[in-house]
Amino acid sequence: MRVSAQARKVAAWKWRSALRMYLSIILFALVVLAPFYWIVISSLTHRNELFSIPPQYFPSFTLENYVNLARQVPFFDYLRNSLAFGVGTTLLTLVVSFLAAYGFARYPVRGSNALLFLLLMSMALPEIITVVPLFETLRNLKLLNTITGLILVMSSVLVPFTVWVLVSFVKQIPVEMEEAAVIDGANFFQVIGWIVLPVMKPALATMLTINFINAWNNLIYPLVFSSSASSKTLSVAITEVFQARSPYGRPWELISALGVTMVVPVVILVLIAQRSITTGLTSGSVKS
Amino acid sequence: MATIKVSKETRRWVLFVALVAPALFLRFITAVHPVYKTITLSFQEVNLLTRVTRTVGWRNFVELIHDPSIWEVMRFTVVLVAASVVLQLVLGMGVATLLNASFRGRHLIRSINLIPWAIPTIVAGLAFRWMLDDQYGMITDIISRLVGHRPEILIHPGSAQLAVILVNVWKNTPFMAVVLLAGLQSVPHDLYEAAKIDGSTSWQSFRYITVPVSTPLIITLSLFFLIWQLANFDLILGLTHGGPGIATTVLSYRLFQEGMLWYKWGYASALGVGLMLVVAVVGLLGLYLFRRYDVRF
Repeated sequence: MRVSAQARKVAAWKWRSALRMYLSIILFALVVLAPFYWIVISSLTHRNELFSIPPQYFPSFTLENYVNLARQVPFFDYLRNSLAFGVGTTLLTLVVSFLAAYGFARYPVRGSNALLFLLLMSMALPEIITVVPLFETLRNLKLLNTITGLILVMSSVLVPFTVWVLVSFVKQIPVEMEEAAVIDGANFFQVIGWIVLPVMKPALATMLTINFINAWNNLIYPLVFSSSASSKTLSVAITEVFQARSPYGRPWELISALGVTMVVPVVILVLIAQRSITTGLTSGSVKS
Repeated sequence: MATIKVSKETRRWVLFVALVAPALFLRFITAVHPVYKTITLSFQEVNLLTRVTRTVGWRNFVELIHDPSIWEVMRFTVVLVAASVVLQLVLGMGVATLLNASFRGRHLIRSINLIPWAIPTIVAGLAFRWMLDDQYGMITDIISRLVGHRPEILIHPGSAQLAVILVNVWKNTPFMAVVLLAGLQSVPHDLYEAAKIDGSTSWQSFRYITVPVSTPLIITLSLFFLIWQLANFDLILGLTHGGPGIATTVLSYRLFQEGMLWYKWGYASALGVGLMLVVAVVGLLGLYLFRRYDVRF
């Protein structure tokens, strides 16, 4: 009898702690997802219904706002610019960082560790401080209002972290593999192409994803260095739509629709690549 | 023998320089040169119409120190980053513990956790601004149902400041949680087993195993988050535009206003130098703590 009473008590305790855990998880998910719920339904609501008190949590469904968005701003130009900026930055960052990481890991010279440390420390420099001088530099190079200019400055921001992460991955590759290839007569480029790159594929994919998300989300550079539709990105577009006032106040239905289109690609990336992103974000800070 | 050795060493140098040069070149034009330029500009006054630059000595700095609004901006900047980091650490530890538990759908919840980190800050700022709208906002509606009147959160300085802090915590806690989770997973499991056999409660295990083991990680994270959030201006642009008045203006946002909206490049550069000094102070404090707690990269 006593045993079964105790067993029941343990079972009740287990049940209660499981319940508490699931309630915490649900609360957590609600807090994280509430803003998305709000902008998604706002983007799908007729503007007449949107501005009502109390707000309608399950309004009628319309795609009208997305159509209006495409009509009122050069949406597809901005989308193309965002993609070009994101992809270009990602590729340039990866090439430059991989080369540097390989140099730091495989050909250490006197002072190279200090140099790597300095490079890492330069991450602390707030981007906002650089915009005034960079505005002049880009103007002198005739790179204002160009995607190329934006790619150059943004890649530079992402290089230090990418180098830092990739150095530790290069160091994990047994150097004997490369030496064996050299003995077999492979030249420098063949060693990189046949041995190093294939082994590092997961790490490179991780940094591609993280850097793309960073560039896609960047606001300050396109905002300051673009004054025409030739290089404005979606992040700039959303600040412009926000500025557009109407007799109703802010066009929240358009802001929401644009917000949703900016969020959907990164959410898809996160759902596909959660594990790989986590590895990238935590490598370097946590030694396993 | 000697000649072979020298050529090997030379080869190493040549390869190192060739491989590292592109990265250093990029950093030179977009980080080293701008810092140098900012320091020079901070002693100058630039007329953007005539393109005439003249040296004004310390005048920008004198003006800066005597501007009472700067000290208010400075105060909110410090309050924002300090309060954010403390809340992010506490909540991040909680979220990390939750994500470390085993339950069905853990993979999905871990992905959901990454979403606030992954979305553009400007979108997060605007979404919360819309949720906090004093008439049609969702949060305003929920609060009014609970307390019976409609709060005007972004209209009053105190509540607007609190809103900025909390939205910042919402945006950046997940990143903190992900790194803390990796830290939790690297704690050897037998430590907890041994403590359990010795009869320690889960709070005691947390206090005497998890916290000490995670201390170096917590210091590193705090430092990174402090410095990183000192530079955050997208959130302010999206959520409040620094208002009401200048209640939620931070240093980086003021720098943007002075430099890019009001075209006072000399004054903005002096502010930039000030911001760099703040970052340097935090960084040096971090290096001191690293040494004290033996943090290694």
